[in-house]
Amino acid sequence: MARIGVFVCHCGENIGRTVDCARVAGEIGKLPGVVHSVDYKYMCSDPGQALIKQAIAEKGLTGVVVSACSPHMHERTFRRAAGGAGLNPFLCEMANIREHCSWIHEDREAATDKAIDLARVIVEKVKRNVPLETIRIPVEKRALVIGGGIAGIQAALDLADGGAEVVLVEKEPSIGGHMSQLSETFPTLDCSQCILTPRMVEVYQHPRIRLMAYCEVDAVEGYIGNFKVTIRQKARSVDETKCNGCGACQKACVVKNVPSEFDERLGKRTAIYVPFPQAVPNIPVIDREHCAYFKGRARGMKKDACGKCKEACARGAIDFAQEDRFVTEKVGAIVVATGYELYSIGKDQPAAGLKGYGEYGYGTVPDVIDGLQFERLASASGPTAGKLLRPSDGKVPKKIVFLQCVGSRDPAKGIDYCSKVCCMYVAKHTMLYRHKVHDGEATVFYMDVRAAGKGYDEFTRRAVEEDGAVYVRGRVSRVYRDGDVVKVLGFDTLNGTPVEIDADMVVLATAMRPRKGIEKLAQTLSVSYDRHGFINEAHPKLRPVETNTAGVFVAGACQAPRDIPDSVAMASAAAAKVLGLFSNEMLEREPTVARVDAALCAGCFHCERVCPYGAVEHKEVRDRKGNLLKVVADVNPGVCQGCGTCQATCPSKSVELMGFTDEQIYAEVNALAL
Amino acid sequence: MKELRDLATKLLAEGTVNVVLGWEEGPRGVRPAFATDAAAAGRLVFDPRCTQNLVPYLSPRRTQVKKLGKAAVVVKGCDARAVAGLVRETQLAREDVVVIGVRCGGVIADPASPEPLSPATVADRCPGCNSREPKLADHTVGELPAAPPGESRRDVRIADLEARTADERWAFWQDELGRCVRCHACREACPMCFCERCVADKTQPQWVDSSPHPRGAFAWNVTRALHLAGRCVDCGECERACPVDIPLGLLNLKLARVASERFGYTATDDPAVPSPVGSFQKDDAQEFIL
Ligand SMILES: Cc1cc2nc3c(=O)[nH]c(=O)nc-3n(C[C@H](O)[C@H](O)[C@H](O)COP(=O)(O)OP(=O)(O)OC[C@H]3O[C@@H](n4cnc5c(N)ncnc54)[C@H](O)[C@@H]3O)c2cc1C
Ligand code: SF4
Ligand code: SF4
Ligand code: SF4
Repeated sequence: MARIGVFVCHCGENIGRTVDCARVAGEIGKLPGVVHSVDYKYMCSDPGQALIKQAIAEKGLTGVVVSACSPHMHERTFRRAAGGAGLNPFLCEMANIREHCSWIHEDREAATDKAIDLARVIVEKVKRNVPLETIRIPVEKRALVIGGGIAGIQAALDLADGGAEVVLVEKEPSIGGHMSQLSETFPTLDCSQCILTPRMVEVYQHPRIRLMAYCEVDAVEGYIGNFKVTIRQKARSVDETKCNGCGACQKACVVKNVPSEFDERLGKRTAIYVPFPQAVPNIPVIDREHCAYFKGRARGMKKDACGKCKEACARGAIDFAQEDRFVTEKVGAIVVATGYELYSIGKDQPAAGLKGYGEYGYGTVPDVIDGLQFERLASASGPTAGKLLRPSDGKVPKKIVFLQCVGSRDPAKGIDYCSKVCCMYVAKHTMLYRHKVHDGEATVFYMDVRAAGKGYDEFTRRAVEEDGAVYVRGRVSRVYRDGDVVKVLGFDTLNGTPVEIDADMVVLATAMRPRKGIEKLAQTLSVSYDRHGFINEAHPKLRPVETNTAGVFVAGACQAPRDIPDSVAMASAAAAKVLGLFSNEMLEREPTVARVDAALCAGCFHCERVCPYGAVEHKEVRDRKGNLLKVVADVNPGVCQGCGTCQATCPSKSVELMGFTDEQIYAEVNALAL
Repeated sequence: MKELRDLATKLLAEGTVNVVLGWEEGPRGVRPAFATDAAAAGRLVFDPRCTQNLVPYLSPRRTQVKKLGKAAVVVKGCDARAVAGLVRETQLAREDVVVIGVRCGGVIADPASPEPLSPATVADRCPGCNSREPKLADHTVGELPAAPPGESRRDVRIADLEARTADERWAFWQDELGRCVRCHACREACPMCFCERCVADKTQPQWVDSSPHPRGAFAWNVTRALHLAGRCVDCGECERACPVDIPLGLLNLKLARVASERFGYTATDDPAVPSPVGSFQKDDAQEFIL
């Protein structure tokens, strides 16, 4: 026989003003099975909780109902109190007579009647509650970091230094990301590679980091603490275990005119290549699309068209027959750090909403380049060895026009957000330019200069005050080639006058966009993304590096446009979150998860199809001799989020949500209706 | 007929299957046959009296056929949809059954009647049928006969019901469903009613009142109709099984049309088409979600 205790809270005046709590306690006390019913000013206070504990001990309660606020506020409090007095916490429930009653009604009589109904419903439920045990799942203390830009590098190092094993997956042949392409960095103008490469090397040498470059994440199964990740190791055509990075193959390669991705197509590379001299790992890959050997193969030639690299390699590392390989890794947490790409200035746009810039020539004017191309021209390791020469004829440009907000903040072109870093790097570019070409004239067209950040405003002012950059507020309507010059037609909105400039070169500060293919990766990881493809954080203020999927975190420019300090801060934050997760031996989960009755389940797997979290698995039912009787659904309690969709879908009602069984809900409804 | 018998004999002889489900001559018209040898295979028939859908025998809830070993089943186009339904909902592995399709020109509503196929005797679902040649078949036998005679009576009845007011429809179904004796023959005959334990038999809590008074009968029939919405393969077996002649087909057909209009799903014999339960498309109607 049930022995339920009911505790009606006044919540000061919050409930007491509108609900006659003493009457509620009195009426509920008359219900069968209720052996104790009292009201009190503040149930959540220490003395209030003591009342509950005392009643459990003295009256031998089998269930507790606290009629108070929303369970979102204090369910934990009261369950802990009940647990402290030796009652299974899940035998304690709350009836919400505040948000659902006193706060929304005025008539005291009617509100009191409703409060009695609400409490009675929960009494009937609690009578049917059964003890539940908190679910504990073991944690695999290894982390996967996806993307080896500065964000991924920082996250991997922080994690590894914190004692966790790390698998770092990078899709390009080398880690480094965009930061490795930059010449100097704002707001200090220190050399990007000088501060980055030591970190890259550290990653490579760290005993707890497994670097998997030229790899991609193919599939992810499992859940927080227990992910199983399938990683595709793309065929390098070079045996990593034999290659010592001597570079002989690259010297021997006959194909020397492939546009270099690292140099943003301003320089050339060979078909077998490392992207840049400090690449980590320093192991080349064969670009099969351009390699003469593979092109010959593709054309069906009997004789091998080339093989010079293979001849040149003293260690026999070239392996034309290599194929993609798949490895699986078990990890407990995942950090997504796949970074950004730039809005294309060309005609072909990756998404329907993006329009491109016909008025700026769609990238057909050779001396109209984007920001990353400027970085390569300014970089000592770049195609011009750091001399600022324009692409068309290699002349030193005496007049450069920089256009800010190209693509950004322009809904008509498909993007309404601000790319955040362009104001800063344009200021940087004007300074780099003046430091290299002392008599050069830098003109910047801007909408407004957004330089919030430590030392940032000072930096942009330095560009104007010390390095003589001319800032023109306004937009440019047209850019076109006119003989030797690039004509820029704009409008100065402060002076209200049209501006026409004969520039030698134009640099477009194009918007930052998430990487191509991010949607697919996000779907593989079950994390949500916004309409641009940036990964959504769980809460914009309070959970900035978590995603909506437990155990998956986000860092760097794949979440929104980010500069290096932001990316690094996010990466360290994500690493701290992961390390916090790893500090537990076991993860604790609420036991309100679905459970299938294997005896009744018909194995139609509608539940599997509707489960938004992929929690439903297949389980074989065998007789004692081991003969397969049937295959039924089985809910993995580590993955189940307790949404109840399966329960609603199951035609035979063979799956139930613990703590919210049909029987419990039915009793609640009956208590109201009968 | 010879083609069918030869094929059945061959499948049995070479050991491809242990039993062939088909129809044979019985004391009152044709009856289901479970042919396990050449003699029985030689007795198989197919003609317009083969109204019964044999696929329910393959549902895992019915173990009698399974005990005989691997089965071949003779299906009409409508029955093939039931095979697909079982495969789609993981009740049957496609490779576990050999499907023998028969080309069909319509069947008669009452297979025990001596009347020939005519607009008056044709089964409700046949006129206008567009699946007279099963696509889901390992072997297809027979010539394609002329199209079923007559015109759909059901369209007229559904249009008539749709034209009525809600109160009138309520009265109509009160009257029809009020006759239900809760024998659950409809469920036993249905190929898609394969649950181990029907929700109507659940007692804790008891969602569906088990007594044969109007409230219980309503709860039962509405639950069954909703569970079959879009899943019903329109083989007509429930209506044929009902001892009190409730027009269950009307209810099922109306819901199938709703599933088709609202969710673009029509029962098909392609098992790769996902079940309307548990699948969704981005443009599914959802204005009913508040
Ligand atoms: C022209 C320009 C100048 C800039 N100058 C400065 C500056 O001076 N100072 C400053 O603070 N910031 C600057 N920035 C911003 C800076 O580039 C970014 O803040 C920084 O690179 C972001 O780092 P990240 O690791 O998030 O992304 P990224 O650098 O883009 O790195 C992402 C990495 O992930 C890899 N990856 C992508 N997808 C996958 C996948 N599916 N699987 C595996 N790997 C994947 C990529 O190959 C890449 O290596 C500049 C940006 C531009 C465009
Ligand atoms: S929906 Fe129900 S019957 Fe079907 S597999 Fe899931 S639990 Fe089993
Ligand atoms: S309760 Fe929700 S999350 Fe859990 S198995 Fe059912 S559908 Fe999946
Ligand atoms: S067969 Fe007819 S009488 Fe029997 S339960 Fe079904 S509807 Fe009712």
